[in-house]
Amino acid sequence: MSAVAPNQAASPPSEAAGGVHVRGLEHRFGANQALHPTTLQIPPGGVVGLLGPNGSGKSTLMRLLTGLVPLQRGEITVDGVRLTGDGLSIRRRTTYAPGELHLYGEMRGEEHLRFLLRGRSGADLERARMVAGELELPLKRRIREYSHGMKRQLLFAAAIAPTVRVRILDEISEGLDPAKRSQVLDLIDADAARGTTILLSSHHLGEVDRSCQRLVFLNAGRVVADESSEEVRRRAGRLVRLRFAPGALTHSSAAALEGPGVESVEEAADRVNIMLSSDDPREFLGRLAAASDLPAPVSVEHGRISLGELYRTLYGVEGT
Amino acid sequence: MFKGSRGYIIYGLGFFVVLEIMLVAAIYWWPTFEQNIPSIKAIAAPIAMLSDLVDQVDQFGVSGYIVGQHFFKGCSALGTAAAVLFAANAVAGEAHRGTMEIWLARPVSRLRLMSERWFGGLLVVIGPVFATSVTVPALLGMFDKTMDMSDLMRCSVHMSAFLAAIYAVSFLWSCHSSEPMRISFVMLFISVMIFALYLVEGVTHYSLYRLVEIKVFMRIITKDAMNWTLLAPMLACTAAAYGLSVRAFLKRVP
Repeated sequence: MSAVAPNQAASPPSEAAGGVHVRGLEHRFGANQALHPTTLQIPPGGVVGLLGPNGSGKSTLMRLLTGLVPLQRGEITVDGVRLTGDGLSIRRRTTYAPGELHLYGEMRGEEHLRFLLRGRSGADLERARMVAGELELPLKRRIREYSHGMKRQLLFAAAIAPTVRVRILDEISEGLDPAKRSQVLDLIDADAARGTTILLSSHHLGEVDRSCQRLVFLNAGRVVADESSEEVRRRAGRLVRLRFAPGALTHSSAAALEGPGVESVEEAADRVNIMLSSDDPREFLGRLAAASDLPAPVSVEHGRISLGELYRTLYGVEGT
Repeated sequence: MFKGSRGYIIYGLGFFVVLEIMLVAAIYWWPTFEQNIPSIKAIAAPIAMLSDLVDQVDQFGVSGYIVGQHFFKGCSALGTAAAVLFAANAVAGEAHRGTMEIWLARPVSRLRLMSERWFGGLLVVIGPVFATSVTVPALLGMFDKTMDMSDLMRCSVHMSAFLAAIYAVSFLWSCHSSEPMRISFVMLFISVMIFALYLVEGVTHYSLYRLVEIKVFMRIITKDAMNWTLLAPMLACTAAAYGLSVRAFLKRVP
């Protein structure tokens, strides 16, 4: 049996090989605080979804993790290696597919794949060619002749092929048709099943729902929620949404809905969102029926709320 | 737009061809020029600086003519343009096209990426200066003239140091900018202005092109030695600009 050093034993799983550990990370672009102090611990293996509206700090966080944006404050450890300097040691252990889709139009697909995989092994390049082949990418054609989706797939092929423990994929399925998106997600799932840690940012909530075991919600540079997708699904089953006629709702009327079995009540224009403490709404519906101060709702929704709607309702996350 | 080593070779070859054509044309015209020096002196007489240039060619003969045509005119003018255009596009061009992120995202250190581009671009600018200079003795041979190869190489080193300084300063600006067109336009405008100053009596000493005028090269040739008083500051400027470029590039956000 091999001995374990005391400091190794004390390290959280996120600091181990294959994990992502972020502590007190913050970043500023001039006067704009792009990322408020953030702490995140992602243990090895699985797909973690990074969600948030545009400008919420997702891409900044991903760029910080790979050293593309110089570290200003905080600590980052990826695959057991602390980020220092320009982040080369991290980039050797990870792959990163940027969300911005700007490639060299004058290069051919094959040449561009070689460009993207510079610093990787020949076997990685060969695997990337195979993935590109599976995705039916025309590697002999110039990039300027590629469609938006083809460019995205080329970036994906370069990011999924190398043998690494951590992949950081920013908007990797954006612009793909449903069949290609499904193919890409299958490859991501298969990779995660082999023990790779994948950090995936997306606006497509369907794919997040399908592939991610854990969801991190960002808004205005802050982590507003970090929970398992199972927990999010359970919450979806506990949410009741009431819609009232325009102007019917007064400021105090929603307060009548608070009481036993209700975790929180949130008013938004003509809607009230109620989070129940269990997925049985009968007690709450009884109280709703008895609340004579409250105008009659136009609609009552419960149990049919999609994850997409839940994300929008709870966190203001945009998506399709 | 060609990328990588292929791009350096193609652009370097292009610059070499243009410089060589100018050199061949100049040497081909040498006998006519030599015959007409008295007339040319008369024409240049009203402009003191121009007259001075013709006097120098008259004094130093074919060597003065070659360093004037090849280094002072050809390499200075075209080399400045090549240096500015290459350097301006090196980093700011990537930012402008939005390709900086994929350029930097690979497992290659930033210092290496920048240095490859810096030295690759510099080689494209100064390589043709040396390559064309090598052909001078053979071309002069057509008219039973010659120039010593070691003199030509020393002059090429001096010329390259001047171009390297312009290249390094432009590169430094490129590391801070996302607008290669602006860098090119401003740097070329300044270069033309400074070159124009050379021909204006009274302010000619403010022109940086005094560093690569005929007298400077002829001093290198006659003394069989580099002019370190001029060379050292140009090399120091290049080294300082390179260091500042590295610093800026390491902090650069895509």
